[in-house]
Formats: sequence, C-alpha cells, structure tokens
Amino acid sequence: MKTAHWNYAVRTDRPLITAPLLFFSALALIALALSAWRLFGGLAFTGMNDDYAIGVWKTFNVMTLTALGSSALAAGLTTWVFNQRQLHVVMRTALTSSILFYGTGMFALGFDVGRPWNFYHVILPWNWNLHSALLEVSVCMTAYVALFLLYENLPTVLPARWFARIKPLYPYMVAAAFLLPAMHQSSLGSLMVIAGTKVHPLWQTQMLPAFYLIQAIVCGFASLILILMISCLAFHRPLDIPIMATLARFMAWGSLVFVVLRYADIVIRGELSTAFTDGWYAVLFQGENLFVLIPALVLLGARRRSIPRVLFVAAAATAIGGLVYRFSPTTLAFRYGRASIYFPSIGELLMCVGYISLAIALFILAVRRFAILPDRISD
Amino acid sequence: MSTIAHRLELTGASRREFLTFCAKLMVAAPFGLAITDFLSPELVAQAVGAAKRPSVIWLHMQDCTGCTETLLRTSQPDLATLIFDIISLDYHETVMAASGHDAELALQDAMAQNDGKYILVVEGSIPTKDAGVYLKIAGRKGTELLEEVASHAAAVVAIGSCSSWGGIPSAGPNPTGAVGVDALIKDKPVINLPGCPPNPYILLATILEYATTGKLPAVDAFKRPKFAFDRVIHDHCPRRPHFDAGRFAKEFGDDGHRQGWCLYRLGCKGPVTHASCSTRHFNEVVDAWPIGIGHPCFGCAEKSVGYSLPLFSLAPINNATPSAMYPPIETSRGIVEGAAAGTAGLIGGMLLGAGYVAARKFDSKPVEEPTSHDDHGASS
Amino acid sequence: MTRHGPQRGSGETAEGFSRRDLFRIGASASAATLAATLPASAEERGAPADALGLLYDTTVCIGCKACVAACTTANNLEPDTELSGGIWQMPTDLNSQTKNIIQLYRSPDGAESSFMKRQCMQCVDPACASACPFNALSKGAYGIVEWEPTRCIGCRFCEISCPFDVPRFEWAKFNPRIVKCELCRHRLPQGLQPACTEVCPVSAVIFGKRADLLREAHRRIDANPGKYYQNRVYGEQDLGGTQVVYLSHVPFAKLGLPEVGTESRAHYGEKVHGVIYKGMVVPAIVYAGLAFIMRRRFNAHEEHARDEQSKTGREDQL
Repeated sequence: MKTAHWNYAVRTDRPLITAPLLFFSALALIALALSAWRLFGGLAFTGMNDDYAIGVWKTFNVMTLTALGSSALAAGLTTWVFNQRQLHVVMRTALTSSILFYGTGMFALGFDVGRPWNFYHVILPWNWNLHSALLEVSVCMTAYVALFLLYENLPTVLPARWFARIKPLYPYMVAAAFLLPAMHQSSLGSLMVIAGTKVHPLWQTQMLPAFYLIQAIVCGFASLILILMISCLAFHRPLDIPIMATLARFMAWGSLVFVVLRYADIVIRGELSTAFTDGWYAVLFQGENLFVLIPALVLLGARRRSIPRVLFVAAAATAIGGLVYRFSPTTLAFRYGRASIYFPSIGELLMCVGYISLAIALFILAVRRFAILPDRISD
Repeated sequence: MSTIAHRLELTGASRREFLTFCAKLMVAAPFGLAITDFLSPELVAQAVGAAKRPSVIWLHMQDCTGCTETLLRTSQPDLATLIFDIISLDYHETVMAASGHDAELALQDAMAQNDGKYILVVEGSIPTKDAGVYLKIAGRKGTELLEEVASHAAAVVAIGSCSSWGGIPSAGPNPTGAVGVDALIKDKPVINLPGCPPNPYILLATILEYATTGKLPAVDAFKRPKFAFDRVIHDHCPRRPHFDAGRFAKEFGDDGHRQGWCLYRLGCKGPVTHASCSTRHFNEVVDAWPIGIGHPCFGCAEKSVGYSLPLFSLAPINNATPSAMYPPIETSRGIVEGAAAGTAGLIGGMLLGAGYVAARKFDSKPVEEPTSHDDHGASS
Repeated sequence: MTRHGPQRGSGETAEGFSRRDLFRIGASASAATLAATLPASAEERGAPADALGLLYDTTVCIGCKACVAACTTANNLEPDTELSGGIWQMPTDLNSQTKNIIQLYRSPDGAESSFMKRQCMQCVDPACASACPFNALSKGAYGIVEWEPTRCIGCRFCEISCPFDVPRFEWAKFNPRIVKCELCRHRLPQGLQPACTEVCPVSAVIFGKRADLLREAHRRIDANPGKYYQNRVYGEQDLGGTQVVYLSHVPFAKLGLPEVGTESRAHYGEKVHGVIYKGMVVPAIVYAGLAFIMRRRFNAHEEHARDEQSKTGREDQL
C-alpha cells in the first residue's frame, strides 16, 4: 500500500456506478421500502415489545452509530482546540461521514417513533420538559445536524465565493459544533440513568453521561481511522501514516481515560466483585473494556502506531468495544435476570442495515462528486 | 343371603337397567371408591354384583322425609328393584307396607336377623333438649331408639344435613337442641352425607362400597366421604369462568342472569360449600340443581353456612385456592426469529470476513517517516 | 512526529496552547465545576394536597376480576381475548388493551398465594413525567398522571423509565397511543368513582384521598398486627411515594413491586442532568471558552491559509 503525506482533499476518479455502490444502494432501497410499509403498518412487525420498548433503530442507528458519527467532534477538537493543524486535511472526511451517519440515524429515528407528526414540539420551547434527557438529545441533535454540522459541511459543497459571505461565523458555529455533540452524546448516556435498577449494576452509574461522551470521542477517532483506511484501499489512495498515528494516539489516550474511570467507578460503587463473578454480565463488562484497553496499550508505542495493519485492527477493535459499550445499557444489560428478551425481527434488522448502507452509498457518491478524501497532490 | 347379581337374576330385573345404575354410580363417585374404580359399567356391575345384598334399616328422626324422596327419585333401576334386589331395605317407615305393631316387629326382626351386619341409615336430626322429649316414635324417645338400633349396626350412615349436623331444625335458636348422629353415636363408624337432600347415588355408592369391600369410603374431618365432599362447589362449578372473568348477575332476571353468569353477587355460597351438586344433578335431569336453574347455592350441605348465613349475603371467601387460570406476576415477552438471528449472524460474519481481508491488505511493517515534508509524488 | 505549519511563537506549549489559552480554559473549567457544586434542585416533589389514589388490600381480594372487566368497559377498550381464542377477556399482563389486571402470585410449593392488582401507581414524583421530552405525560389534577395525545411523539421513553413497567404502547396501530390507568379521570367530574373501585364486590380496592387512604391503611395495620407484611404500606415512601398504595400478606417483592428504596427514579435521574444544565450556565460557560479559543485558532488558520494560497495557488479547504 502506498503512503504519502496528505495535503489536499480531492474528488475520487473511480467510475460512478460500481459494484459496492449498487450493493449498498440496493440495501438502502430495501430499508426505504420497509420504511414506507412501517408508516402504514405500525411497529408490530419489529421485535420490540413493552418490556424492551426501544430497539436497534434507537439503540444502534442513533445511539451507537452517532458515536461513529462523532468523528467531526473528535477530529475537530483535536484539529482546532488542540491545534493539530496537520489534521485539517482529514476534516472534510470527518465532517461528511458525521453528517451522513447523523442524518441517516435521525431518519431512522423518524420511523422508530410512533407519532412523528408531533415532533414539531422540538422547536416550541414552551412545550419542552427541561428535566428530560431525551428532550436534550432531541433538541440538541436536531440543532446540531440542521444548523452547525450542516454549516461545517457547506465549504465542501458550496463554491468558495458563496461561502465567503458566511465565513466570518465560522469560529462561533464550530464552537457550537463542539458544544452540542458533547451535550447530546452525554445525554444519550443520561437516558439510561432514569431507568434505575432496570439496568445492570455494572452499567448503571451517575457517570453514564461522562462515559458515553468519552466513548463518543474515542469511537469518533476509531471511525475516522477506519473510514480513511478503507477509503484509501477502495479508491487507491496513499495512506498518511503520521496523521493516522496522531489520531490513533488521541484515541488511545481517550480509551485509557475511559477504562481507568470505569474501573474506578466500579470500585467506588462497590461492584468490583460483580465484575468478575456475575456470569455473562461479567464477561460482557470485561470484554467491552478489553476491546478498548488492549488496542490502547498497543497504540501507546510510537513504532507500533506506524504499522498500518496494527492501526486498522486496533481501530476496529476499539470501535467494536465502544459500540458494544453504548449498546449494553439499553439492551444487553437492561432488565437483566428477567424473563423477557429482545431480538430485532428480520424487517427491523434489514431496515437497520439499510439505513447504514444508505449512509455508505451517499458517502461513496459524495467523495466522487466533491473534494472530500485527502490525497497528496504536487504543488 | 345371596349375591346381588344372583338376586337380580332370580327376580328377572333388567340387566340394562342395572348397567345404567352402575354407570350412574360411576358418575356419583368418579374416584375414591373401590367399586367404581373401573373403566366401564360392566366391570362395576361385576364388582357390585358379586357383593352380598346389604341389609339396610332406615330410621326417621326430626326429618322432612326429603332424603327418602331423593331416594325415590331414581328410575334406573326402579324403586322396587332397588330396595329389594340391590339392597334389602328391611325397615323404612315411609315405604314399608307394615304399620303400627307390625312395623315395630319388622324392626325387631330385622335387627335380630342381621345383628351386627346391617347398615343403619338415619334421616333427620335428633332433638336432645329437655331429655329428648321432642321426638317420640312408638312411644320411645328418638335418642333411645337411635342408641338401640345403632348398637347392633355395622355402620351408621347419616343421610342429609339434618342427621349430619342438625340441618333445618338446628337453625338458630335451635329450640329442640337438634344435633346430628355423630354427636350421639360414638362407638360405631358414622359417615355423614350432608345435603338437603343429597344426591341418592352418593348414598347408594356408600352403601354398596361397604357391602362390596367391607369398608366405608375415606372420610374427611367432618366424616364426609371424600369422593363426594372434598371440593367446594366453586371449584367445579360450570359458571366459574364467569366468576374468573368478573361477569356477575346482579339481579334476578337481568341481562347477566339471563346469560347464565356467575351468581356470586346474588349470594351464592358455592365458594364455601363442600358438595358435588354441580356434577351430580338431581332428579336424573341434567342441570337440575340450584345454580343450574339460576338460583345461587345457599350451602345446605355445609354446617356453618346452610340455615345460618342469610340466603343472599355474599359468601365470605377466605384464601380460596386460586385456579390456575390467572396470569402470573411476571410474563415473558419477545422471541428470537430464526431468520433474524441467521441474518444477524450472516452480517456479523461478513463484517468480520471483510475486516480480515482488508487488514491483510495493509502493511504489517512500520512505515518509515519521510525525511522532509516536501515530497513530490508518493513513497512506497 | 514532525509537524507542518508555521513556527510556533514563544509561550506556546508542545500541544499548541499558549499560556493564555491555558488560563482561559482553566477559568472556564473552574466556573463549570463551581456551577456543578451548586445545590442540586431536583427536589422530591411532595404529593398535592388533594391527591387521589387507591388502596388495595391483598387479604381482601377474592380474584373475581370484576375490576378488569369494568375497567375495560369504562375506558372503551377492546377486551384482550387473544389467549382464549376470541371468547373471553384473558390478558396475561398490562397491555395496550388492558389498563388494569389481576395477577396471581403463588409460591412454588403452593403454600403461599396472593392476588395482585396492577395498574398505574400514580407516583408522587413520576419517572415517566420526568422522562417525557414534551410533557405528554404529566401530573394533572389530583396528582393523576395523564397522557396527552397531542404532545406524545411515541418515543416510548416512559416505558423505559417507569420502575413499575406500567405504560403500554399500541404497537400495531398507525396512530399508536400510550395506554395506562388514569384513575378514570373522565368519570370523576360526574361524581363517579373509578370503575374498578365501584365494581369491587368486597372492597379490596378503595378510592379516596391519598392522605385518607394512608390513614385507613395504618388503621388496618394497627388493628391487625402481624397480618400485613412488615406492618407496612407499600407506596407510602417507596420510590418517592405513590398515590396507589398496597397492603399485603406476602412480601411485596413477590407481587412484583420493586423494593428499591425511597428515592424516586426522577430524582435519581435528574441529579447529574439537572446540575449540568441548570439554567444552561455550564453550557454557556463552556461555549464562551470554546468560542474564544476558536476565534484565535481561526484567525491563525486564515493567515496560514493565505500564505499557502500565495505559495501553491490552492484555495483553502475548510
């Protein structure tokens, strides 16, 4: 695989209609067809029931995938606040993937809620319940995608002279684009706090918002690394190992903070023995931590950070660990020890996969049409 | 004395009628009795037929003769066959032909001939107040008569609520001090068949069980045979599903009453009355029993209920054994669709496979850093 | 690791922060921490003075289920006849057609059994009302927790947050509702009782003011010491208090009532969330800090971008 220093984002020059695009588009179309059916048929075809009232669309497409879609937050903070200027060249990839993950996630959410016609209350502040974490998520996510993340993606699609008019707003919009995802990603964690003892003690903690936020940032790094590496593979671009290594270093530190805090939380709450004795729950808990800890330890070494395969596998493992962590309190560790179960039905699963495919298909089209993916071009 | 089967043959009684009778015994005692512990009436007929015809002496005390009437309401076999061929009813003041001194002689004869072997059936309660003067038969007090006849009997069957625990005469304030048989007879096996009146086949099953096996049926703490009195009406009432579903008749003749709903709110004492009326109806007519015709049970067979609790007051149900048809505290929801599980597995597998293939495309050696940041073109 | 970009000015740390930046970040963080330690005001909400509720006594209930039938009729619900093949009402749990149900607890050896009437507990500090984003569920007149169809988006977060697993959703409907007992509030203005208490033949469940019901419950406990489990009324303080209270002869946990202390879920859930977002002070402070930093970075970036453009002719890519 070729390597080079990236210095500019460039459109891909592969043919527009390729097998992968067709594949993902087909899956997306299936999801859209099923969505139309859901509109008229209600939600009974899903595997959701009154004991597991939220299913994969909320817990996966929104909660979990917006963690993958937090690369705009993660890379943005690193690039701007921590002044890693060399990462500017990957910002467009981060922004595009973020808005696509968020957008399709919220699109899925529109079909998951039972009474979407009442969602207009989100723009009527006098109807807001300020005590509700879900309100915070709804308002914040909507504002983020519709205003700030959208604005951040405008330079990609608008000609420079058009964008120049709203360019002075940039620092203030980006500051909000850091604040808002921090707010709603942590509020996604707050959602499960009110479920109290319905969530297994290894996961139920007042630190849930903090953990969800840290994991969002860690997964944001992981997803950006994976997207860049897979895109370079697919579109025959050279890899910029130092940039990947920087991202990986930040990811590793975030993972370490997460694992340390998580164990500290367990110890303080007196659940340390549970973490080693409670059957499958202990396995899940340790697994989530190990999938995030081991790659982090590996990536602490500078030399290992420059091995592409290590970067890829470590990022993938981190992503898996982070996604499972964000998924557990809502499903795997929810109503633990009781009789009911939840497993998505086939239609539900196809819609879940289809929306993800929609994001991927749109990404493929976007990198073809706009200058998003980084490359090295001669001066 | 010959066996019942022999006797029936001699008198030319209809075998079909005898088989019908045996079938009715099976209905009266579906379990708990040796004589009906068979799968067909033929086998019951065989067992009963092999028994010696038991001698029965029937005494009337403070009674209304209703229990006799219930015995008369059997048609298969006809009464004659019943009282002559199946049992030998040697003394019965209502149906016997003799009267006056002849009747007394018949009693003495029957007692002498079957000394220690006859079954004494007592109908009616025995007054004990004021030294028992309130009942005199042929100049003798009921208490004395009972004591004498019982002393030579093999077993005593108290038929009806009156002889079981006092019945109507014992209703408050019980002016005659009426008691049941087992309050007076302590040295002979007594079996109570309460009911006002009880189903006659319960009596016949009890007597024939004794005649066939030599033993009385298993009884509960109140000396009631378990095969007929072990459950409350509520637990085998055809209207129980209405009770369980909350459908009650609130007034006689209202919609619910017309549809045959539960009569609990009209004062049905089914939940607290041990009896088997709901499955062994009366007068050999289907559904001829109080609840079957739309009137709440008033607990005639149960000592603390019949003639002491008001007819239309609610039965006090205390920790009745609940039926199985209630939802449990926790129900289980959700299933795993096979197709969904398979698809999820497939997707997971594909992702892992793709990841593996992709990982292999990347170098496993560290990439050297470029010496300057002014590279032109790519380094490999 | 080498770094691209212009020479760093003096005073910049290895990570590209100037001392001034660090000071400003530190100031924002301290302010945020200060705001976080302000007393949390997610106070336990007391029951309204006219709070209405139910008292259910398991020692009196005979399991006749008249209340289940009456509730369905009074609330215009279709009886759930699925399990009986369409013949009679036979729900197995609360669901979108059943706001009230009688369940049976039986110990494995059959020695202990009790009926249990389940419906909305009308909590004093309801988790569902705290969780609902647009106040579709809220505590209304008499403290009854009401569902408002024009506000509900069908997110089902109330089902997740309810510690008693009460709200149910009409999964199969195009226009799905959240279904739960609302103490027959449509009957109250007509001077009627809730249907279940009106029809109960033995008064196992009675209706009245919460204060009166608690008084009656304690009277029964005092009159019969040892009869009721722990001589205690469930719901007096459990989970912040509920307006539907229970007396039982068997352990409450066996009846499916969670024994998890006296703190309401709403209070527990609002502790962190309420502190961070109280008055939006913390977000405002953080935003101010971020905006400040971004402005500096952006200006530096613009300068660098102009240099690059003049050198290479390439337009800046934000």
